[in-house]
Amino acid sequence: MYYIILSIFFPIFTGVYLLFRGEMKNRKNLLTVTGVFFAISAVLVILAICMAGNNIFTLFCLTDRLPILFKIDEVSVVFSIMTIVVVLCAGFFSFAYMKHEEKEKRYYGYYLIVLGVLIALCFAGNLITFYMFFELLTLSSMPLVLHSGSREAVMAGLKYLFYSLSGAYMSLFGLYFLERYGNTLTFSAGGVISADMAAGHGGLLLGICFAMLIGFGVKAGMFPMHAWLPAAHPVAPAPASAVLSAVIVKAGVLAVVRVVYYIFGVSFLRGSWVQYAWMILTLTTVFMGSMLAYREPVLKKRLAYSTVSQLSYILFGLAVMEESSVTGGLLHVLCHGFIKAALFLCAGAIIYMTGKTRVEQLRGIGKEMPFLMWCYTIVSLGLIGIPPTGGFISKWYLAKGALSSGILGFDLIGVVILLLSALLTAGYLLPLTIQGFFPGADYDYGTLKKKEPPLMMTVPVFILTVLSVAIGLFPQMIIHYLLRIVEKIM
Amino acid sequence: MGLRYAEDKVMIMLVILIPVIAGILVPLIPFKKRSHMEIFLEALVILNSILVWNLLIHRPESVFTLANFTGNLSISFKVDGMSMAFAGLVSALWPFATLYAFEYMTKEKNEKIFFTFYTMTYGVTLGISLAGNLLTMYFFYELLTLVTVPLVMHTLTREAILASRKYLYYSLGGAAFAFIGLIFVIIYGGTTDFILGGVLDPEKIGGRTNVLLLIYVIAFMGFGVKAALCPFNSWLPDAGVAPTPVTALLHAVAVVKSGAFAIIRLTYYSFGAEFLKGTWAQNVVMLAAMFTIVYGCSRAVKETHIKRRLAYSTISNLSYILFGVTIMTPLGMVGALTHLIFHAVMKISSFFCAGAIMHQTDKHYVHELNGMGYKLPCVFGVFTVSALALMGVPGLAGFVSKWNLASAAVESGNKIAYGGIVCLLLSALLTAIYMLTIVVRAFFPVRDFDLKRPEEEKDPNWKMLVPLFVFTFFIVLFGLYSVPMVNFFSDVAAGVY
Amino acid sequence: MSLVRNFPAVSILLCLFAGIISSGLKKRAAEYVNTILIFVAGLLSLCTLLYILETGQMFVYVMGKFPAPWGNEIRAGVLEAFTALFFCIIMLLSLVGGRKKLADEVEEGKTFLYYVLMDLLLASLLALVYTNDLFTAYVFVEINTIAACGLIMIRQNGRTIEAAARYMIMSLLGSGLLLMGICMLYDLTGHLLMSNIKEQMKWVYLAGHYKIPMLVTIALMSVGLAIKSALFPFHAWLPDAYGYSTVSSAAILSSLVSKGYIFLLIKIIYRVIGFEVFYESRIMDVLFAFGLMGMIFGSISAIRENDIRRMIAFSSVAQIGYIYMGIGMGTQAGMEASVFHILSHAATKSLLFIAAIGLTEVSGGSRQFIELTGSAYRNKWAGVAFTVGSLSMVGVPLFSGFISKLLFAQAAVQNDVKMLPALIVLGISTILNAIYFMKTVIRIYTPVEEHKYGSMTFKDMKLYVAALFSFIILNVALGVSSQPIVDLIGQGLAMFS
Repeated sequence: MYYIILSIFFPIFTGVYLLFRGEMKNRKNLLTVTGVFFAISAVLVILAICMAGNNIFTLFCLTDRLPILFKIDEVSVVFSIMTIVVVLCAGFFSFAYMKHEEKEKRYYGYYLIVLGVLIALCFAGNLITFYMFFELLTLSSMPLVLHSGSREAVMAGLKYLFYSLSGAYMSLFGLYFLERYGNTLTFSAGGVISADMAAGHGGLLLGICFAMLIGFGVKAGMFPMHAWLPAAHPVAPAPASAVLSAVIVKAGVLAVVRVVYYIFGVSFLRGSWVQYAWMILTLTTVFMGSMLAYREPVLKKRLAYSTVSQLSYILFGLAVMEESSVTGGLLHVLCHGFIKAALFLCAGAIIYMTGKTRVEQLRGIGKEMPFLMWCYTIVSLGLIGIPPTGGFISKWYLAKGALSSGILGFDLIGVVILLLSALLTAGYLLPLTIQGFFPGADYDYGTLKKKEPPLMMTVPVFILTVLSVAIGLFPQMIIHYLLRIVEKIM
Repeated sequence: MGLRYAEDKVMIMLVILIPVIAGILVPLIPFKKRSHMEIFLEALVILNSILVWNLLIHRPESVFTLANFTGNLSISFKVDGMSMAFAGLVSALWPFATLYAFEYMTKEKNEKIFFTFYTMTYGVTLGISLAGNLLTMYFFYELLTLVTVPLVMHTLTREAILASRKYLYYSLGGAAFAFIGLIFVIIYGGTTDFILGGVLDPEKIGGRTNVLLLIYVIAFMGFGVKAALCPFNSWLPDAGVAPTPVTALLHAVAVVKSGAFAIIRLTYYSFGAEFLKGTWAQNVVMLAAMFTIVYGCSRAVKETHIKRRLAYSTISNLSYILFGVTIMTPLGMVGALTHLIFHAVMKISSFFCAGAIMHQTDKHYVHELNGMGYKLPCVFGVFTVSALALMGVPGLAGFVSKWNLASAAVESGNKIAYGGIVCLLLSALLTAIYMLTIVVRAFFPVRDFDLKRPEEEKDPNWKMLVPLFVFTFFIVLFGLYSVPMVNFFSDVAAGVY
Repeated sequence: MSLVRNFPAVSILLCLFAGIISSGLKKRAAEYVNTILIFVAGLLSLCTLLYILETGQMFVYVMGKFPAPWGNEIRAGVLEAFTALFFCIIMLLSLVGGRKKLADEVEEGKTFLYYVLMDLLLASLLALVYTNDLFTAYVFVEINTIAACGLIMIRQNGRTIEAAARYMIMSLLGSGLLLMGICMLYDLTGHLLMSNIKEQMKWVYLAGHYKIPMLVTIALMSVGLAIKSALFPFHAWLPDAYGYSTVSSAAILSSLVSKGYIFLLIKIIYRVIGFEVFYESRIMDVLFAFGLMGMIFGSISAIRENDIRRMIAFSSVAQIGYIYMGIGMGTQAGMEASVFHILSHAATKSLLFIAAIGLTEVSGGSRQFIELTGSAYRNKWAGVAFTVGSLSMVGVPLFSGFISKLLFAQAAVQNDVKMLPALIVLGISTILNAIYFMKTVIRIYTPVEEHKYGSMTFKDMKLYVAALFSFIILNVALGVSSQPIVDLIGQGLAMFS
């Protein structure tokens, strides 16, 4: 029971402690301490999940009608495991990577806070708790974005902040109404809006549902509020980018899941204009994100655009509101989380070793660091959706759901756009592999030196790669688990 | 009744008069050392606050008439729920603000005159909050303008004098129009006593409803001048030339809140919410409040002087309160009252931070604050908390009050009020922009920032820090545990007190 | 027949008589005679007032026991006696306050003439107040004009002569119109005694004859008196006359002379023409409109003024506008408000004039604002007095101006048509008043860096300070306990009709 609280507040308090204590004597101490904190946090999360049962834990009440409460359900488990894996991998990666950056202590401080807040989001039992930590997430992750302190980074950080806040406020708008009309903000599978509640102001409720989708969609980089993402993710230190792109944006996805499936309910939304509008937006984002990524020469930016596109795969799956599409969406949460983290870490390792950021500078990189680039290639294939990786499975389910939805037009167009975007994904991810391994005849092999990154970097990347492949190889168990969720919420 | 009545009457007179007399005594007593004056004033202010709280806790029920004015108009006092809220707020803040002022004023001239009027204002503000009828309140309202003018022109620069003139014209002019409302309440209500639900007599009104609504709008705008309602707001940023304790306590709390307080009185206790609800007058005043909310914030974003930026923020936040008032439901009143109290704590805290920055580093503009977070960590820490609270981050005070306002708007079912929620949120975003840019600048300076520490640029001493920490504590406390207070406001709005 | 019944007549005759003797006296002696005279006249009026209050009805005193229509009557009611008393008080205080300055402004050899003129002025004022005979009234109007001219001119410089000439021309024009009006009335009714005329008028009116001549008569008399009392747009003579004459003259002219005419007009309305007849003629609406315009334009001119005395003079134009607005309201309440404002304005305006002289005295005699900067520190008492006067003019509660405003507004609300224009203009005019008076107050309290001029101490000006304080007390008394006076006025007006 209390593990929930511990798993949330232990990282937060240790993060705050790191921020406020004086400088450590040497870097090693800092890393040891931080490493221990990471490990304890992970253990706490696992314990919390195992011990949770079906209890609701109320922390305190903001006002009479606004309790802050936590509850662990299946969705929480999926998201929290993904979170803790990615955050830990990226965290250990940073031990090596952050060597060349300043103010490491501050970085780890905020990193831990973000971890705690993310866990809290996963465990939140009602919308107000969720909202509270959603804002905290924005505030605590902003320092990660502007960590480098360059002018560009600060501006990107502010952009991130203001986009996220405007999204949060749009959803807060919905919260105000929901609390009154829905009578509760507690998540319950299948939604809390009943027909008689909706009677008379159905139009209003749909409107605020749309506002909340757009609002939470900001975090998930959904068109039209996606512009912050390609600006903010690349300027952060690479491990932070990995966390931002793989996990923090998922908070937006989690929010959408909670709002659509746990508050409004599928029966209320299915077939309404909100669903159609949402699908149009997601499909637009999928296509647009891929196109932009395809045109982008800077590797980290390219990956950020890719995130925009991939997240909307998930959102599209959720928007279709079919069993298999939702399953696919949730599975893609996991796949994309591992894959995108691995990709960003690869990019970070490359920057760390060579200082090069643009794709065309990286000819022959596969010869220099073959192991890393093999990992890169494998996860890329996963993201494109080539069997036997996880990406294939999730996209399969997405497409299946879209086709079986029977929503005129969207079923076919949706699948076409998904495939087109997969093609584009191949187009923007694979050139690096091709150039890296096959630099061409004029490449000067004489100067080639093997410079594989340190183990602290390659191991996290490897773990993530393995995980992403594992999902593809042994999907049954996970799919089964996800289907259980889907059954409950549909 | 007898003895008890007399005793309470004396108490009410005392709490109003002690600060006034203390203020007058300051220049007359030849203090040997500055610290003697500090002790004298602080002791009296604390004593007065204790007396006020004592009064509020045992809460005499009757109306105390001091003098008859003309006819049935009298100067009278009453301690009802609204008075308790406002008087409680003022008396809680004043001792801390005085403490802060002692330290702040070390760098200014003519301290004694300053403290004279500063302390007198305390009494006058209490007069407003304890007033038992519209006439008495109007009387103290005018007085408040007069005693605060010397504070605005304290520095006696050309700028300060122009600002104080403007302040005076605006305030007196606003009062002139509020006065018209007063007259109508006298004529059509027969009494100016504050009674929840209004005093207007439907028989007397007859077919003149529209005239009365027009007058309500005029009086609303009139009192709205003090509450910096757009387009009558330009005095407030200008008045920021006053020393920071004045800007913080008076132009973020006492004076401007008196305007909002007066509007609550006018709306709920004189005209009556029932009479106004659903009329065009409600729409007009609500739209005005909504416009001001957005306008104030947008101007704040553009402003680069810290205090002026905060002043514009105050303009916007005051209209939150007015927006709550114009919803004209008990819940709206609860929202307004919550924001009245919470905003006071948040804004005074951020203003005190701004003052501490100016006092310690002599920096006045936002772009000068690069990296200051490392030099004045406590001040900027507190500032960050107040900024987050003003934005409405859950867990801090601002969230609760905004929540109450917005849910009142939702509950009212008024379509314009829905638009008001949008304004609230837009303003929250703009608040984030103008507050957090300061925080980011201070804590995350761009990389080439030079962290050499000039000796004098450090956190101020305890006299400044104690108020800051106390206010921060309350911001967090109200944010996490506001239930009893909100329940109290609900009782006030329901007429229990 | 009580002895008291002789007092009104005695006081008038005493004044005339004193004037005659004074012309043969030295400066000092004339001064004493004058002071004693005013004192005695006041005392007699007080006795009359008490007597009337005791008996509860007015009395008519027939001069030389000749019966009407040949005889000449004096009529004393509550209002007459009270006004006479009040005029005496104001005159006494104004003279005492301006005495010191008088020596500088008037040639040594002519001082006794000044007092002769004062005696005559008082005689004419008392006569205007008391008389029951239109023609007598006319005669004293002329005496009044001539005395006033003399008072303006006695300070010998180019400007005063020009001002006196202007005043003379305008005044004579006014008296001419008044005379024509009286002639026509005589034609219409065949009487000169007010009560007789009224009786006849009633018949004429009821019979429906002579509609046009009657309208013309009313118009002539109203316009004539309006010119003489400087109603906008006939105010061109006023700023110079008040601005450049000696200070006591200015105070007395503005607070008494113009008020005497207004008092006469009120008497004519009630006691000659009859309120209903006057009301029907719609001349009221014209007066109302011009009153409103006067309130605005008088104030605007005052704002543009750089000379403190002329500013106060222009303010008088605005204040006279208030009075005419009240008369023009055409209600009992409006009339009461006007009469109260006559008193309150008299008390305030003379206070301002007297205070202003104290301020210019310590600013090298200059009346330009730029020189007056900081003068309130050099002459503390005058500064305080000027502030009090200003606040009263602006209508801050506690002072008489507030009560006037309150009464005007209350009266306005009772008239559905004139309500909105009256209230709006009242509001605007308050703001304008605030602008120029508060600007001046801030100016005189703005310290200067270099001390060009010396300051005055209490010892230099005991009498002056005493006069100022009496004025302040008078003002506050009118502001705080206005109810008895308002009752008196109500009673007096009731006795009129």
